[in-house]
Amino acid sequence: MDWTPAPRRPTAIRREQNLALVSAVVSGGVIAAGLILLLVARVNPETASGVRAVATDIVAPLWSVVRAPIDGAGKVAGDFGDYFGAVSRADQLEAELDKANARLRAARNGQRELQQLKRLMAVREPTRTVVATTRIAAATSGSVARTAMLAVGSGAGITRDMPVIGTDGLVGRTLEVGRQSARVLLLTDPLSRVPVIVERTGQAGLAVGRNLPTLLLTDRIGPELALVAGDRIVTSGDGGVYPPGVPVGVVVDPRADGPVIRLATSPLGGGFATVESAWLPIPDTQPQGPVFDAPVPVEARTRGAPPPRLRTSEPPAN
Amino acid sequence: MTPDERRRWYLSLWRYAVPALASMALLVLMLAPLPISLPAMPHLALMGVLVWAMLQPGLMPPWLAFCIGMLADLLFGQPLGVNATLFAVATGVMRMTGRVFGRHGSLFDWLLVTGVLLGFALLTGPLMALAGRPTTALPLLWQWLTSVMAWPLVVRLCAAIQRKLAASAPRWRHG
Repeated sequence: MDWTPAPRRPTAIRREQNLALVSAVVSGGVIAAGLILLLVARVNPETASGVRAVATDIVAPLWSVVRAPIDGAGKVAGDFGDYFGAVSRADQLEAELDKANARLRAARNGQRELQQLKRLMAVREPTRTVVATTRIAAATSGSVARTAMLAVGSGAGITRDMPVIGTDGLVGRTLEVGRQSARVLLLTDPLSRVPVIVERTGQAGLAVGRNLPTLLLTDRIGPELALVAGDRIVTSGDGGVYPPGVPVGVVVDPRADGPVIRLATSPLGGGFATVESAWLPIPDTQPQGPVFDAPVPVEARTRGAPPPRLRTSEPPAN
Repeated sequence: MTPDERRRWYLSLWRYAVPALASMALLVLMLAPLPISLPAMPHLALMGVLVWAMLQPGLMPPWLAFCIGMLADLLFGQPLGVNATLFAVATGVMRMTGRVFGRHGSLFDWLLVTGVLLGFALLTGPLMALAGRPTTALPLLWQWLTSVMAWPLVVRLCAAIQRKLAASAPRWRHG
């Protein structure tokens, strides 16, 4: 007496089980992801702004490609329009040129005065020297460390701690140098700290990478002025690695607890980057022994520890 | 085994290295300088290791995964051992699930790998902190997303390699 339905094929049963498991996993995963997003938003409110910036960063290049034909057509139409408006445009430009010339004369005066003052103060200005010009050869686009690789190394005169500067702004600094390659610590790496200055307010600070497309401006010192979106951030030259005045980015989110900077240049964007020698000579002398005037134990001395360097003593003249 | 067969067998030994070589090729492919600022490159190397741990568990043991992970650490400039440990753990997890679940569909594989990749993304942060370079794990979720999306492509690529290898296998035993 066979009253039970005929057993289905084991593969069908297995498929059903798999689908049930899949649906359970998917629903559980969705709920967990939602909870995680909520928790992240609760703990770190700026997550949403970061995601927004990321979304625009993704969409913008896509659109630049999609829009290329449209832009071309618009350019052709604009060229036609330029012919019709050429005379009035030339008049306008001449007027602007007069104004600009007047400003240039005043600026020349100021420049001469500045040179005189610098000579008076005996200001010594280090010069920027380009060591190599190269392209970014490879990069770690999917890793917690944001580094890039150059196809030039110590053979081309590259050493550690050299600034790498792109056409539009700072890219990073060299981290490890091989014979034919160098690793560049990008600005967006969590280890990267760039001494910067806010061009408008003169506040100094650090641009800190965090493995996101944007940097964080921390340790801001100087006048208590609020930043506004669009403030330009340039390197300050402190620390001696990065030369002063190199664009780092612009403030896009002037939050009081940590303004967000968008990079001036896409670190891995096409185009060439120059490797310059460090802005100031980097001291290569390592401190010998303890620098405080604490006595060195006899046991340590017998094992070859150097004598203590007294804080008050002058460095040996050599 | 005739000398001719023996020679052909020696010449076909490189086939045992194909899984490792394919994973390393994917690893190098990961270094393409994408002009984007977030870590959105899918973790092709890890996925290659997982695929081969699934297709040919014998040819992708955890120690080999450890070596490939070490190479990844070197190439990515991370503290040595982060990827290596996680690659080995991931391979072990794949082996265990293969034993527990037996044969299953590709969709199940996908979900399984999603979980493994998520675990990888979540464990990278603590391991980096252990290595003295604490980082945030959140940006790695982007890589996780892209990796999950790229999984079918990697599977297809590796399966094609495997099929091509099987089709051209020397028949020295019974042929």
